[in-house]
Amino acid sequence: MSILERISNLDRRIIFLTVAIAVIVPLFLPLRLPIEVTPPVQQLYDVIDSMPARSVVLISIDYDPSGAPELQPATLSIMRHCFAKDLRVLVLGLWAPGVPLGVSALEEVAVGEFGKEYGVDFVNFGYKPGGAVTLVNLGRDVHDVCRQDHNGTPVDSLSMMDDVRAANDIGLVISMSMGIPGSDQWIWYYHARYRGNLATAQTAIGAPKYYQYLQSGQLVGLIGGMKGAAEYERLVGRRGLATVGMDSQSISHLLIIGFVLLGNIIYWLEKRKK
Amino acid sequence: MLMTSGPWVWIAGLLTLAIYSFLYKDNPFYKVAEYIFVGLSAGYWAVFLWWNYAYPNLFVPLGEGNYWNIIPIVLGFMMFTQLSKRTSWLVRFPLTFVLGVSLGLQVIAAVEGDMVPQLQGTFSPFAKGALFNTYNFWTSIGLIVLLVGVLSTLTYFFFSREHKGVLGVTSKIGVYFLMVAFGASFGYTIMARISLLFGRLHFLLSDWMHILR
Repeated sequence: MSILERISNLDRRIIFLTVAIAVIVPLFLPLRLPIEVTPPVQQLYDVIDSMPARSVVLISIDYDPSGAPELQPATLSIMRHCFAKDLRVLVLGLWAPGVPLGVSALEEVAVGEFGKEYGVDFVNFGYKPGGAVTLVNLGRDVHDVCRQDHNGTPVDSLSMMDDVRAANDIGLVISMSMGIPGSDQWIWYYHARYRGNLATAQTAIGAPKYYQYLQSGQLVGLIGGMKGAAEYERLVGRRGLATVGMDSQSISHLLIIGFVLLGNIIYWLEKRKK
Repeated sequence: MLMTSGPWVWIAGLLTLAIYSFLYKDNPFYKVAEYIFVGLSAGYWAVFLWWNYAYPNLFVPLGEGNYWNIIPIVLGFMMFTQLSKRTSWLVRFPLTFVLGVSLGLQVIAAVEGDMVPQLQGTFSPFAKGALFNTYNFWTSIGLIVLLVGVLSTLTYFFFSREHKGVLGVTSKIGVYFLMVAFGASFGYTIMARISLLFGRLHFLLSDWMHILR
């Protein structure tokens, strides 16, 4: 068997192994490659940075644990930025399995790092079923959709919610999204009716689609995948899991580019040989 | 200290390895993990749908005197009529209701949320007639490329005439734009998959094995 044939019949498990090595090695030997902040991420940072103190930011946890490696670092960084600017944070989720992730992020950042008070500085309404219908009603009457918080406390007994009644009381909505229902529903059913500032953080698979909404002005910012989260971590000045993962990303991307080139060269040589 | 995590982290770690073992070849560990996942998911969603959808949104308001909720409850139970041939015609009523509501929502979403703002975003810089005055040079070039991309890609999907001459050249340009879009999506997909792998490996090495700090 010629070298060409051996390479073209390479056991795919060798490729899996090399990708795993490319991801693991930088965890032990970090390269600390530079992370450049792209305009869509900077735009979101600037919007939050320019909001007056005590404004309300709604963070919608529209992902489950499989999206956590990409979206949880972004959620944590955005919350850090909001609380550092003394903004009030309202959390809800269109994905039920995302609720514990939202709770954990609030416990880590709001309570653990900033000592914020529940009901005054932040509120968690947990999972909100209904997708599109819920969002249409949410913009009209927040108290009607969110009658109780995640722990069953009536909304009227949460002082933060006294002046948060409808869409125009919310300064910014950020959908941390990995599918449906998620950013699409926020754009189509919420933003289309109530306008206001809307941004999204997406898993990398979903991100390309949302650049069009950024260009049309429907979104004020976009965080794409772990790379976008790493950019936001850089902006808030705190290295997190996304920044740690960027070396692994870069090395494995180089490896995959190498595989793609090799595959094409072999394809071309085999075609020429025939 | 190595490998001193709690039982749930151990279960998560072992199940992760069981799932990844499929990459070597199909094996009983993978099958066990797969069946556990399927069974747990089914149970989780059944309980979840009851406590998060049906009970708080239908039955609690009904108990508080909101008798309008009888209508969705009846429509919901009518979905089960398709289980019998004799009563299956009744399923048309709830399906018609769902279709009607979905259609109404989707039409508004497509027009208000997608079509109009996207057309505005694409054409308004040109309609204002101030492309290079309002935007900087590279943004203006980007907007021109965007317009060419939209028009040529739309041309590619115009099937009422044979793609010859100007139509052929334009649709060919549209194909190149589509290729670039597919390439970008493919690149982002790789990034997403590597992120997932990173997330799992980081969990195994830090939370479970405590090798990473």
